[in-house]
Amino acid sequence: MKPQDIRDAFFEEMLLLAQKDPNVIFLTADMGAFALEHFKKELPERYINMGVAEQNMISVAAGLALSGKKVFVHSIIPFVTARCYEQIKIDLCCMKLPVVIVGIGAGLTYAGDGPTHHGINDIALMRSLPNMTIFSPSDAPSTRAACRMAYRDHNPVYVRLEKGVLPEVYDEHHDDFALGFKMLREGRDVTILSSSFMTHQACAAADILQERGFSVMIIDVLRLKPLNIDAVEPILRNSRLLVTVEEHSLVGGLGSLIAECLADRDIAVPLRRLGIGDAHCFEPLSRGELQAIYGLSVGDIVKVVEEAKTKFKE
Amino acid sequence: MSHKTNGLNNKAAWARLKTLDMIHAAAKGHIGGCFSSMDILVALFYGAILRFDAKDPSWSQRDRFILSKGHACEGLYVILADLGFFSPEYLDKYQRSGGILGGHPDRSIPGIEADTGALGHGLGIGAGMALAGRMDKKDFLTLVLMGDGECCEGSVWESAMFAGRHQLDHLVGIIDKNGLCVTDRVSDCMAIDPLADKWKACGWDVKVVNGHDIPGIMKVLSRVRSRKSTKPLMVIARTVKCKGVSFMENDLQWHHGVPKGDILERARLELSQGVK
Repeated sequence: MKPQDIRDAFFEEMLLLAQKDPNVIFLTADMGAFALEHFKKELPERYINMGVAEQNMISVAAGLALSGKKVFVHSIIPFVTARCYEQIKIDLCCMKLPVVIVGIGAGLTYAGDGPTHHGINDIALMRSLPNMTIFSPSDAPSTRAACRMAYRDHNPVYVRLEKGVLPEVYDEHHDDFALGFKMLREGRDVTILSSSFMTHQACAAADILQERGFSVMIIDVLRLKPLNIDAVEPILRNSRLLVTVEEHSLVGGLGSLIAECLADRDIAVPLRRLGIGDAHCFEPLSRGELQAIYGLSVGDIVKVVEEAKTKFKE
Repeated sequence: MSHKTNGLNNKAAWARLKTLDMIHAAAKGHIGGCFSSMDILVALFYGAILRFDAKDPSWSQRDRFILSKGHACEGLYVILADLGFFSPEYLDKYQRSGGILGGHPDRSIPGIEADTGALGHGLGIGAGMALAGRMDKKDFLTLVLMGDGECCEGSVWESAMFAGRHQLDHLVGIIDKNGLCVTDRVSDCMAIDPLADKWKACGWDVKVVNGHDIPGIMKVLSRVRSRKSTKPLMVIARTVKCKGVSFMENDLQWHHGVPKGDILERARLELSQGVK
């Protein structure tokens, strides 16, 4: 079966939940998706287009949640995170309300559309908010699982989604999604941690590295907050070299998160962080071209591993 | 003036005096906005407008009251304590160790529906509550008290247009229009007027009242439940910042200034004269 579009995977799962639970309400800041047409058709009274008014959307979601509703809100990542950040902080996180924020366009998904549409600061923003959970799924099964876990959560949840289709790396029936991460490959020489689209980039790099004699472990981090530190710690501690790969600012993302773990748990393992430096990505190019410019191509991952292994040769 | 109205005016003077003492003791607070909105609060809570049960603050049929201008919380605390939502002893521990009352209200305090203090959030939260009430076929009102300075926030107008579009007829906004923000007149910052026309253009019914005329406020609000309109209602209450202490009224320094010494004593004396 062809893998499902990530958005459709999420919204079809959400519709299944809404069909069973009359308290599920969906608010969108004028953003659609193919699967949302089904929701709109089947449950029109619980599908509300709020217009491009994200601040009000979050506050209304809070008012609904305070009245017992389970609310999903939806827009492109910068608009549903940065634009309405104070509403998320106060109305959702301070009041610990079970609202699910569904952001579309993780990382450089929107490529040439420019910095207005890039989702490269959202993890840093959302990670600093107490009571917030963050999911960053990397395929359709983990996206559906993230939807179900977000639905069951009693606190705010942020789900950052890709557009389009990604290869499947999770098994919906056997994987332990509650763990929050998955070891996709075992390896001795280097451990690459990534999530979402970049997990697939890391796998491609691992293929090349393995041909060149490196044994590469890949950890896909589905839940960025809270990271299951106790479960991750032995993996970090037993690694010879750690590499984080993210289509996100180097400030506050996955690389920062892992660096904090190393510092907090006294783990002395070399770490290389691949991410976007202190930059806005204005170039009107494709996603692949932008990744090449910002050091996030498959070749860049291979190169950083080879250079680091030379430096830290035992 | 009826006996009851006299009683409510006395209650408002008493609450202002209590608020003044509380803010003076903590050396922190917002007297100006508390005093401009005090008569509105007294009308709502003592004038049989709001439906509530102080012993059961989360009673499902209660009206929801959101103080969107959360910095004016000290006056609300005094009233909630007086009505029995929590012990008046907590007023003496305002912003102190062992207390529950902070400089802006949050839901851990009995009677507080939403965390406020960041302006421009309350109306949207109230709109969500009103929408949920309609979905669940409940008849409670949602009342949101805002400031005119708060109306400078763009999010207020997002919520205004949303509530108008969805005809949230059980949503009532009240604007404490005292004309002053923190460092200037509101009209020095923004083209705030004509304010009533703005709300009408967003699909609201609008009533303008004297925000210090308790019977007048009660007259408008007592008809809300029986009105036939399908629109949300905005009550624009014309008020005076720091109302109740003649020599502090309309003076910018009392937005968050705390009187002491001779000014404090004169303010106390003037307010005491209103408490029969």
